[in-house]
Amino acid sequence: MRRRVVVTGLGAVSPNGIGTEEFWKATLAGESGIAPIEAFPTDGFEVRCAGEVTGFRAQDYVKNRKSLKIMGRNIRFGVAAARIAVEAAGLAEAPPAEQRFGVVMGSGIVPTDVEEVGAAVLESLDDERNFDLKRFGKSGQKLLHPLWLLKHLPNMVAAHISIQHGARGPNNTIVTACSASTQAIGEAARVIERGDADVMIAGGSDSRIDPLSLVAYTLLGAVTTADRPAAELSRPFARDRDGFVLGEGGACMILEDEAHAKARGATIYAELAGYGSSFDAEGVTRPSMDGAHAARSMTLALKDAGMSPSQIDYVSAHGTSTVLNDLMETNAIKLALGDDARRVPLSSIKSMIGHLIGAAGAMEAVASVLAIRDNAVPPTINLHEADPECDLDYVPNEAREMKVGAVLTSNFGFGGQNAALVIREYEG
Amino acid sequence: MSGQSGEKRAGEKGAGERRADSYAGRRVVVTGMGAVTPLGVGHELNWKRMVKGESGVAPITRFDASTFDVRIAGAVEPLPRVPEDDDFEELGIHSRFALTAAREAWADSGLADANTPPERIGVFVGSGKGILHIQRLVEGMKAALIKRGVATRDFDYPAFLKRAAETLSGPRRREERYHQAGTHVARAVGAAGPNWVCITACAAGNHALGEAWWSIRRGDADVIVAGGTHSQLDSMSVSGYSTLGALSERNDEPERASRPFDRKRNGFVLGEGSGMLVLEELEHAQARGARIYAELVGYGNTADAHRVTDPHPEGVGAEGAMRHALRSAVLEPPDIDYINAHGTSTHQNDFGEAQAIERIFGPRGEAPPVSSVKSMIGHLIAAAGAVEAIACVHALQDGVLPPTINYENPDPECALDFVPNESRQVPIEYAMNNSFGFGGQNIVTIFKRWDG
Repeated sequence: MRRRVVVTGLGAVSPNGIGTEEFWKATLAGESGIAPIEAFPTDGFEVRCAGEVTGFRAQDYVKNRKSLKIMGRNIRFGVAAARIAVEAAGLAEAPPAEQRFGVVMGSGIVPTDVEEVGAAVLESLDDERNFDLKRFGKSGQKLLHPLWLLKHLPNMVAAHISIQHGARGPNNTIVTACSASTQAIGEAARVIERGDADVMIAGGSDSRIDPLSLVAYTLLGAVTTADRPAAELSRPFARDRDGFVLGEGGACMILEDEAHAKARGATIYAELAGYGSSFDAEGVTRPSMDGAHAARSMTLALKDAGMSPSQIDYVSAHGTSTVLNDLMETNAIKLALGDDARRVPLSSIKSMIGHLIGAAGAMEAVASVLAIRDNAVPPTINLHEADPECDLDYVPNEAREMKVGAVLTSNFGFGGQNAALVIREYEG
Repeated sequence: MSGQSGEKRAGEKGAGERRADSYAGRRVVVTGMGAVTPLGVGHELNWKRMVKGESGVAPITRFDASTFDVRIAGAVEPLPRVPEDDDFEELGIHSRFALTAAREAWADSGLADANTPPERIGVFVGSGKGILHIQRLVEGMKAALIKRGVATRDFDYPAFLKRAAETLSGPRRREERYHQAGTHVARAVGAAGPNWVCITACAAGNHALGEAWWSIRRGDADVIVAGGTHSQLDSMSVSGYSTLGALSERNDEPERASRPFDRKRNGFVLGEGSGMLVLEELEHAQARGARIYAELVGYGNTADAHRVTDPHPEGVGAEGAMRHALRSAVLEPPDIDYINAHGTSTHQNDFGEAQAIERIFGPRGEAPPVSSVKSMIGHLIAAAGAVEAIACVHALQDGVLPPTINYENPDPECALDFVPNESRQVPIEYAMNNSFGFGGQNIVTIFKRWDG
């Protein structure tokens, strides 16, 4: 008998709400978290809006204030989401056996902070303002914080979380771009299933709303530069979509061995029933448009859960708002679900919070669990005129109350890594 | 916390018993290997040079390090060229290493001629922070840093933007992504199955092997190209590790700088490279008449949960990972004949690791021989565990233990048999491969000799 894996806690730090219930309430209400960027002046930038997390106080979530110094923004989001989830699961009072308690996080490239390296760079310029490596070696590097490298190692999110909660079991960090945190949740479930841990903190965090990343994404041509009100920029599946909006944040869930959760009387939100991952060998910079590879990850997740498409009530879409993804994804869902594709509603919360990259899949998984808990699915906002080629039910603009027994949630990485999860109502 | 190990062990044993029969049906063997290290390209060449105790550490020539506190490293020179060079404007160095090692391993396995469906072939890669191009960053930034202050508000963004377009163009950015190596390797070998890139620092390469083992046993794939790749030989990274106080400053004697377990060790030597192994389900390998190098029989994974700056001083996490690996392999400590140590040549790692080994295996005489090939190639960070796994496989095959070179001054606090300075001929059946990541991730794998 395979060990069953259940969800016993959730945590979200999202552009439209800090805290799980805050995020979920805003998401069901169709509230956008996308706004003009406050973190730095954007005059002259082609992109001036993003899904920024505002009003976030990291010190509320970190007991050892000193450690904040070596936590970059992405680390702080991850640590906060993990703490919210751990407390929701009641693990703060009753921590699991330390070596049976692990962490898997999805993460992304840690952006270089201009303030952090500015002084060192200035010090290293010669009289003609050219960078002089000799000067950097001699005096420039001394102006860097001695521990700066620690902020830039992406495995530090999971390392900090393990320290905060005394989780000495399996610990991993996955970096497959947009599907990183979906894979993190899937891999964490496997760790429990095979018996290597009883409780896992799984999710992702990311933050790329900084000048360097913004320029890089703009150059890539993937981010929308449309002239529209901020809240209307992210418009998955709409005819006039033209790119995604960068978001930031963190999302975590507590995955637990069913027997372990029952023994401690935990509230069980849902069961993580299936996980599938596949690689799109053609798609390094653009996905294979027929969606066959993406569909394969969904089919594998369904098979893993022992379920058929007819049992799926809702699909939490990757829905980035790029022309290519949304069309490819529509094709993939048709391939994976067959005739049921027309019946099953799907929506993209990226319409409200933007693309959280390394945290996207985890935030969507958290929303999927809550959809099951509350029997309500979030809307795809800004969808007034759908792309004629995107002809499924995208739950436009208004949340929908409906029975949600099982959800398929999937993400497709820039680079070709695809991952899908099946989450279903827990039946003991 | 280490004092309560008796009680903890009892608790863990139950889990081990559950685990032992969970996916007992499928076994995983190594059928191909590829290596790129400071000692050269090719797993056979690397092994020959390791057995001779040669060093690949030398003065840094990749950039002008003349004013740096650390001026030595284990560099791969010249950088290997790959067919992808024709398709990509600027291939990342870690991608280049990964492709070279993966192609070697793939050819070595003979799978190119087998008809394994692409969906049943996966790629698991341990990778890490790539090259930090400070000069390019500066080209973008320097125009913007016009004022005395360096706070964000003093940054001249329009000036920055003008230069940024030239310095942050697409292909280069793409190569900086951590998971790019996994993408390249999958394309090179035609793998459409599970694809996964982890970045658990110095443990990542070994981590990829362990997770690939589970994935094949579970039935998610029949073949996985697994390993690690890394290059951080750039001015910013050398500076970063150096200011952390982690690197050896024995600049005058590069070949003698990496000295794991030696009393006069003073930090690790940064290396670079890649190791890739083709892991294959046993029956799949036998059905196609593949040459089998060794069997992967165990994998353990723990976290220190101590501090992000230091490993646990007594190696509690390391001990847990070794015990976890033993349980997963259903082995007892005396079954292990050789330990390929993480052995970085830092004071803390080597002390904690030696203590942990002693607690499990007993003192010198009882504990098996332990050696660290980092004494020869430096620390390949995310690639280290995979290259060291290749050394374990060769050690099992040839009955030869690679030495720990530069072992001159015994450290009374690390009192094991470290196979000092000369390789040793001794037939072995089980080899344990240790990798402990910066940040506290501990990974241990166990390989078994293949007797056919």
